[in-house]
Amino acid sequence: MAISTDEVRLMIEASLPGAQVEVVDETGTQDHLRATVTAPQFEGLSRIEQHKLVKKAVQTRFDDGSIHALSIKTSVPD
Amino acid sequence: MTEPTLKDKVEELIRENKVLLFMKGTPDAPQCGFSMRVVGVLENYGVEYAALDVLPALQPLREVTAEISDWQTFPQLYVNGELVGGCDIVEEMDESGELGQLLDAERTEPAPQSAKQELQADDPQQSPPIQIER
Repeated sequence: MAISTDEVRLMIEASLPGAQVEVVDETGTQDHLRATVTAPQFEGLSRIEQHKLVKKAVQTRFDDGSIHALSIKTSVPD
Repeated sequence: MTEPTLKDKVEELIRENKVLLFMKGTPDAPQCGFSMRVVGVLENYGVEYAALDVLPALQPLREVTAEISDWQTFPQLYVNGELVGGCDIVEEMDESGELGQLLDAERTEPAPQSAKQELQADDPQQSPPIQIER
């Protein structure tokens, strides 16, 4: 099963309102994705806590096997 | 006396090893590209670290680390009793210098800047990706 990058982006945006999200398909197989997320909610959090917020947003699609791997890069807006 | 549970044992490992890596395979024979990349980063700092191969008890260890740190994918790097992160975070912190501060160590070899730029001229901040899965 695969998932569109748009769906992943929308899930992250819905979970982190105001976030800037970019999702790319790293392998062309739609199950190894890379998400770059800039969100005000990250302020003051450690990297691992930031990543947890992103992962939680799409956890259901990990659980059902749609996403095999998601690389995450997070930052706080300037 | 009750036998220590797997969770007790894992908590003890985290407490007693300043640098602890949960990985798939061993540092000499990693079984996952992401684990291999974290080993590669750690080796650059010349620090002593403990490595635990999670493959023999993958599911129970996922459950235990989910309870302890709310994180269940491997690799997982712990420093001073705290979960630092997996491959993405470790590589990002390696490049930014934060990992060196955290480990209180210097890279023994500087990052191979010239090779990096050749491989990813559009984004010199990223290490070259290694396409090995599992």
